[in-house]
Amino acid sequence: MTGRNGIDRRRLLTSAALGGATIVGASALGGLDAEAAFAAPMPSLDPAISRSSFVDGRVGRIKGSTLDVVEADGTHRLIRLTNATSVWKLETVTAEAIETGDGLYARGVEMPDGSVAADAVWVNIVNLYVTVRGIERTRLHLSHGRTTLVGNIVDKRTTASFRGGALTSNLSQLKIGHHAQVLGAWRPADDSVDIARISVGH
Amino acid sequence: MASLTTDLAPLLLGVLLAATGAGKAFGRQVAGQAAGTVLVRVLNDGRRATRVLRSTGAVELVVAAGLLAAPTTTVPGIAAAALGVGFLGYLGYARATAPESSCGCTARSDGPITWRAFVRAGLVVVGGAAAAGARTPWWTQGVRHPSASLAFLVVTTAVLAAVSSDLDHLWLVPLRRTRLRIFGHPLVPGRDEEVPVAASVELLERSLAWVAAAPVVRSGLIDHWEADGWRFLQFAGVHDPDGAARPVTVLFAVDPRATKDTTDRPAVRVTLVDDRTDEPVAVDLLA
Repeated sequence: MTGRNGIDRRRLLTSAALGGATIVGASALGGLDAEAAFAAPMPSLDPAISRSSFVDGRVGRIKGSTLDVVEADGTHRLIRLTNATSVWKLETVTAEAIETGDGLYARGVEMPDGSVAADAVWVNIVNLYVTVRGIERTRLHLSHGRTTLVGNIVDKRTTASFRGGALTSNLSQLKIGHHAQVLGAWRPADDSVDIARISVGH
Repeated sequence: MASLTTDLAPLLLGVLLAATGAGKAFGRQVAGQAAGTVLVRVLNDGRRATRVLRSTGAVELVVAAGLLAAPTTTVPGIAAAALGVGFLGYLGYARATAPESSCGCTARSDGPITWRAFVRAGLVVVGGAAAAGARTPWWTQGVRHPSASLAFLVVTTAVLAAVSSDLDHLWLVPLRRTRLRIFGHPLVPGRDEEVPVAASVELLERSLAWVAAAPVVRSGLIDHWEADGWRFLQFAGVHDPDGAARPVTVLFAVDPRATKDTTDRPAVRVTLVDDRTDEPVAVDLLA
């Protein structure tokens, strides 16, 4: 594997980081807490952020690193992916994981030609409030309003948070009847949801 | 047994159609329910779709009355079978053209069309055909063979309940709960659970290092890996010290076992690497 996420690149970055990194933490900052950090002068507002544009639609066509996205009203928008674009599809992935037909939400900067150079792309992302109706080894039965849906538990990807605790891959505290928030990736093939994060008791 | 089945079919089908028909004809939420069905697209009008759904309910009620009151005549049975064929055709059309649309099959359901809807419509066809062949009224049959009739009704009601998603909360959820109680929780944790990357990112985003580097970071997480006892989290950024913006890779390294549950003040290494030269950029983010 080579390219921007290649092993060689990782090795190079690792050595750069371990060589001369700034360490920020308790030892370097003594008694500073989060409040003190926020008391510091705020960075000036980033001009790039105010120019951000958003695109929400379905991927109609993929040509190299350009995506032709059709919005709900039928408008076509071109999304350009760069080395600096983060792509999320259940987890951080590379642009190759994007498929025609995927739902897509992108944030980026509008270029003079009308296309959007994306900073971040979220593919098939869904955010649902559900009730747990059944628990199996590889999937959860969930209800959202009156509709039922299947939430797939993906090994090493699905995480849970209970009562505001840290994210964990240990789902053994899940119970039938729990009300939960599910962040996940919709699977168009069988209309189920791969669960990225299920939060209970927040 | 065959005669028992055909003689009791009018009763079963009558009760089923009466329940679903009453729901459609008099249900308060029929308008909202109709809006989700493929009818709206076919008729191009929500109010007309509601009217069609309500009239279907009324037809179901009439057929149900016929089945219950005149079980030995063939007309109600044939009418019920025709209704079932109509349902099957409607479901097939909706499934093919708008698979995400609602079924509108029963009063309560607004879920999408599933195989259970097809099975139920198929049962209406079969039930209608059986009811058309009834020779003895169901009340006479019930008096003549009370235990066999009861057993038949219990079994068929169970089958109908199994194909009605509306009734899941009555039997399926308690069944799953019991299964968990007997066989234990299926999601027991492995022996050494790794801290998920999402938990490291969560920890990072609550850290001072993140606040300090926020003006530089432009992307979400791009890559992550572990090396030399650290978990590396890679982001893309723009470093703009003197008006000459240059693309950089922002690299955070955190303890792979730390989460916000284990530490409030994580030690985080922050490195900026110039994307053009691949050289670390000397910068004091806390300055």
